[in-house]
Amino acid sequence: MYKNVIFSICICVLVLTLSGCKQPDELKVAASAVPHAEMLEHIQPELKQAGIKLTIVVSDDYNMPNRALAEHAVDANFFQHANFLAEQIKQFHYPIESIAKIELEPMGLYSKKVRTIAELQAGAVIAVPNDPTNEARALLLLQQHGLLQLKDPKQALATILDIAQNPHQFKFVEVDTAMLARSLPDVDAAVVNTNYALQANLHPAQDALILEDQQSPYANVLVIRAGDSQRADIQALIKALTSDKMREFILQHYKGAVVPAF
Amino acid sequence: MMHANLTLALELLPLQLWNTIYMVITSVVLAVLFGLPLGVILTITAKGHIKQHLVVYKILSACINIARSFPFAILLVALIPVTRWVIGTSLGTTAAIVPLTIAAVPFVARLIETSLQEVDRSILEAALVMGSDPWQIISKVLIPEALPSIIAAITLTAVNLIGYSAMAGLVGGGGLGQVAIQYGYHRFNSFIMLTTVILLIILVQLFQWLGDYVANSIAKKRGKSLHV
Repeated sequence: MYKNVIFSICICVLVLTLSGCKQPDELKVAASAVPHAEMLEHIQPELKQAGIKLTIVVSDDYNMPNRALAEHAVDANFFQHANFLAEQIKQFHYPIESIAKIELEPMGLYSKKVRTIAELQAGAVIAVPNDPTNEARALLLLQQHGLLQLKDPKQALATILDIAQNPHQFKFVEVDTAMLARSLPDVDAAVVNTNYALQANLHPAQDALILEDQQSPYANVLVIRAGDSQRADIQALIKALTSDKMREFILQHYKGAVVPAF
Repeated sequence: MMHANLTLALELLPLQLWNTIYMVITSVVLAVLFGLPLGVILTITAKGHIKQHLVVYKILSACINIARSFPFAILLVALIPVTRWVIGTSLGTTAAIVPLTIAAVPFVARLIETSLQEVDRSILEAALVMGSDPWQIISKVLIPEALPSIIAAITLTAVNLIGYSAMAGLVGGGGLGQVAIQYGYHRFNSFIMLTTVILLIILVQLFQWLGDYVANSIAKKRGKSLHV
């Protein structure tokens, strides 16, 4: 109860401060520190030339940015993937929408034993994460490549119990997310998040048998209020975030940990 | 919702209950197999005992303390190469037995040491006077005398290992603890959480009851009562 009250007060203070200092030609965007805020910093000079003062509000909280956007404290936010946004809109009825997919931290299937998914034998052992979001994400990736079929093909919290068809009789082992890369010698393949793959010296672009692509619902999106899509400053922001220059920056700066989704 | 939970529980729990029992019982047996000799060595090499040897005692004692200092989750990860060498894989229920055993061995050794220390010195001296060699003293006096207390120590280890086995989920070991974490905690499923915890309570009670029963019946045979 107290937590809720304190939380609400914090939000109010935050919303008031943010809206209080807003200037007419200013474009405020809430973003997580890495990589989102870094990408926005990269386009700040470009937007300045176009007469737009881009202000970045860094927040690693996952609830504040959507609320701040709905309450006009910021003009856009950039930190979440489409599935999370859908969940937030369902829960809080915010009048906000995704306007562009920007980047993706791709999950991939890795193996020390085979080079392609076609080489995976019937009955092969595949390790998947055991926490709700990552497990479903892993299963969706395997489904996309025809390795299995889920009962509900879009379920965002699927587990191995929700597999309807497993034509190759793969054996799935649920393992802690941080353990997946370490478990590679013991399994035929494992679905690993990019950050852990990189720490285990795996290179997503070269080593993954299959990798999430731009179609992934886990690509991070730029979110604005419904009806703002034609605003000139928003249009300029989208253009800058999806430019070839940005593509180059992402590829060079994050070395595969983050890939463009546009 | 209730129906879906029940289906989920029936799908998960019987197998994972078995996995827990399998992991815990195998690890306890192995831990006693390795821990008992270590406990005996600790006891008899201690100062003033039948085979006093302080160097051996101090080295062994230090090793046991080091092994007991590892948080179990870290031990689980640190032992991956060992597990892979012994079992052939570091994932799965059988693989989880290696770290569980290694975590339990030093614990058992200490408990056995405590049990053996409690054996009345006058009985030991009597055996020595009658010309028993050390092996006879260990097998005919020390262990039989301390047996009820050793059984209590093994029960304590088994109950502890049920707790440790909850972390086997990190390496795909399964078990009730993993169900409680993965479905109860991560997915906010209170029904699964509660059912799992109730099963764990029953399991702990069963182990404890069995241990007490065996320890007490041994003590009774000798006309002593054991306070447990």
